[in-house]
Amino acid sequence: MLRFIAASLALAAPARAAMSRGFNELFDAVVRIDVRERAFEDGARRLSASIGSGVIFSKDGLILTNAHVASPRAIELSVTLASLERVSARLVGWDHWTDLAVLQLDLAEVKRRGLKFTHADFGDSDKLYVGQTVYAVGTPFGLTRTATRGIISNNRRYFEDSRGVNGYETGAFNTWLQTDAAINPGNSGGPLVTEDGKVIGISSRGYLGANNLGFAIPVSTARRVVEGLVRDGTITRSYIGIVPKALQDFENFYALALNTGMLVDNVDRGSPAARAGLRGGDILLAIDGVKVDGRFPEQLPPIQNMIASLPVGATVKLTVKRGASTAVYPVVTEKLESRVGEEWVLEKWGLSVRKVTRTYARDNQLDDATGVLVIGVQPGFPADVAGLSRGDIITKINRQPVASLATIQAIHAAYLAKPQPVLVEAQRNREVSLYVLKP
Amino acid sequence: MNKLRLLALLLAIGPAVRAADLPALWAERVKSVVAVEYYTETETERRPTVSYGTVIDREGTIILPPVAVNSRMTPTQLKDFKIYRPGSAVSVPAVYLGQDALTGWHFVRAAEAVRADLIPITVYAAKSVTEPALAEEVWGIGLRNRDEDFAPYLLVSRVALIQSLPQRTAIALQEVAGPGLPVFNRAGEFIGLAASSFGQSFVQFTRMDRSGSPVILVNVEESSAFQLAAEVLPHLGRVPGNVFGRPLAWLGASGLQPLDPDVAKFLHLENQSGVVVSEVLEGSPAEKAGMKARDILLAIDGAPLPRLKPDHVVVGYLEREVARRVPGRTMAFTVLRGETRLELPVVLGDEPRLMSEADRKYFDRIGLTTREFVYGDAVALRVKTGSSTGVIAHFVKPNGPAAIAGLRTDDWIKEIDGVELKTFAAAAQKLDEIEADAQRAEFVLLVGRGNETAVLRVKLK
Repeated sequence: MLRFIAASLALAAPARAAMSRGFNELFDAVVRIDVRERAFEDGARRLSASIGSGVIFSKDGLILTNAHVASPRAIELSVTLASLERVSARLVGWDHWTDLAVLQLDLAEVKRRGLKFTHADFGDSDKLYVGQTVYAVGTPFGLTRTATRGIISNNRRYFEDSRGVNGYETGAFNTWLQTDAAINPGNSGGPLVTEDGKVIGISSRGYLGANNLGFAIPVSTARRVVEGLVRDGTITRSYIGIVPKALQDFENFYALALNTGMLVDNVDRGSPAARAGLRGGDILLAIDGVKVDGRFPEQLPPIQNMIASLPVGATVKLTVKRGASTAVYPVVTEKLESRVGEEWVLEKWGLSVRKVTRTYARDNQLDDATGVLVIGVQPGFPADVAGLSRGDIITKINRQPVASLATIQAIHAAYLAKPQPVLVEAQRNREVSLYVLKP
Repeated sequence: MNKLRLLALLLAIGPAVRAADLPALWAERVKSVVAVEYYTETETERRPTVSYGTVIDREGTIILPPVAVNSRMTPTQLKDFKIYRPGSAVSVPAVYLGQDALTGWHFVRAAEAVRADLIPITVYAAKSVTEPALAEEVWGIGLRNRDEDFAPYLLVSRVALIQSLPQRTAIALQEVAGPGLPVFNRAGEFIGLAASSFGQSFVQFTRMDRSGSPVILVNVEESSAFQLAAEVLPHLGRVPGNVFGRPLAWLGASGLQPLDPDVAKFLHLENQSGVVVSEVLEGSPAEKAGMKARDILLAIDGAPLPRLKPDHVVVGYLEREVARRVPGRTMAFTVLRGETRLELPVVLGDEPRLMSEADRKYFDRIGLTTREFVYGDAVALRVKTGSSTGVIAHFVKPNGPAAIAGLRTDDWIKEIDGVELKTFAAAAQKLDEIEADAQRAEFVLLVGRGNETAVLRVKLK
């Protein structure tokens, strides 16, 4: 229905054909994505379903969407084309840090069924100005093929959220486009476009309860991420362990020239930067000789991205001012890891677990990354009866350290074959307790 | 069978015969109880607290329940102790003697003038102390509020249940005495001391939840639970020699967790309990003796840890075993490590300097009290004890400059204006300078919170 109106508009107004053709082409490249994914949280293997949007951006059927729409938990991705035909797709890769994911349409199916699709073109998000008209296209609340209009409200919004993408970290390495074009649940992953139909952002989030405060990932960020995901299926970033803070009005105190340096608010314990001798309160002046300016919050993501873009294992030279003295610290980068590890459910025990990662261990002052975090128990099942609960960290099972998910999976498999009491050692806050899982 | 019936009959008649004595018993025993008032001085206020106490000797020594004093306060903040006799508006001064680590009691001593009017509870102790029987009638004294001159009133109940928590504790059908006040049997014998703030369950139909849910309401002025006389009388001599209650026996095994019965069975420990050690503290006697995190403590000096209900009571049992000993004594632990049993003799130490003993200083213009960094801070922050410097924000005045800058209570202040704080005195000197400098517009703090640091800018103008 909507497509009919749009099409007839194009016919009725030939004077605006240039803009309308671009927009219509874009409109035909926007898809609805139905996702069925695994949910591990309740100590049982369950499935959940959700709807999002996406945009086809290449001739060979690559689709750009949000990481919070399509993640590795998805077991079924179904794409509805502009023709309202449904085609299956697979996940090429995702990147929760920028909330982006790339899907591949099943081209064999497309060919077999003789379907057609068009693709959208990327615009230049760096050239956007505040007040510029933009459109959000997508599937809000399942209302397929909805276009809303607004303006760019801010073209460099800083917005970091440590649990923003289904519990994963996001927003540390990019700024966001803010728009008042209505963005509702289901718009996620759909394109934000200019009047000529060029994609300049991927609609990602809005403030619930607010009026028209929507956010999109700029396409300048998306281009880089797409390239990496298509090439490697993943984005590898570097980590050194410094938490930045805008210098804002600290310049006088640190005796700095205006627009120079970034404040180091915290250095993660045991991180490469900590090992190199950096401390909270230091001022980072340059990265490999390139001067940094972290005066305002929105300047922090590009600096963080600069560090993240270094090769893993590379030595980076940080010029740091502490008190009156300035020194260069060589820091060897590590691979950036999420706080959220791989998840699994041990069904017979009614126990959902998530691997403890190095980052999680660091955040929670654990000795090392041994163990799995309990993320759910099913009432009445052995784990619940034994007294385990959400937030416990299982460190040993039958006196064997839980170095990986495989350790606990193997013991669960043995239990399935021959149910016998299992001794579990778990830590809650700083307290260690023992539990017995009984058949 | 006949004998039993006779005994039951005697028990039933006994109290009825003596019931007539109650007014006389009351008139004497009310002289064993007092109300104690004191002031707690903090940086910004001075607040009165009233508690109830029981007289324990002819020197006017009085014990108050553990909760009579907020454990965050240091003894130097407690001022102007006063004693009121029941029904009297006249106070006499008293001094605070300190808290005993084993019983948790606070000790105060009344001025000479009032001592002749007080009767120690020991006078009413039975010749041979026995436990009250279930269903036995018991009574005690409650005290009204200060505006009613702490008028004494009678509370009567029956023993419903006796448990080891690990102290032998009776739970009565309803409130039987003011917390910290004695409980008597119908013969007027002292049979226990009312525990503080024991919860009473009521079904409350809340507005939030239409089906209603039971909530625990605590009547802070009356208690229905009392520790039996056998848990009280032997410890009356534990009058602290100083306000901090030192010496304090120290083991240094922390995060003790009980074994539940299933785990005990799995480990072939059917008729006893065990306690898992979560952490062994740096430099502690436990560490020196070779104790390791995750060791399971099974016995003390050869005696297996008893099975107590609920499971976690055994932790209290173990902690009391440490507290009743003195530094320098050897405590031999039988330990299960993996699948091997070990004997670990631990020479108990003296507790490192406590937070309540730490130096403190208030800076009014900044709105901050700093406290010396002590051993317990290093443990809480999981940092090495020796290498740690800085001070702790003990109090941050609401809406003061430090609070506006984002400083919070218990933050660890590591640097001021980029200068590392080596000692409490150095921090105090630095803050004194800042306060004295009327021209000073701002300064910068580096603080630790959890395992992160933050740079805070404190604006003075």
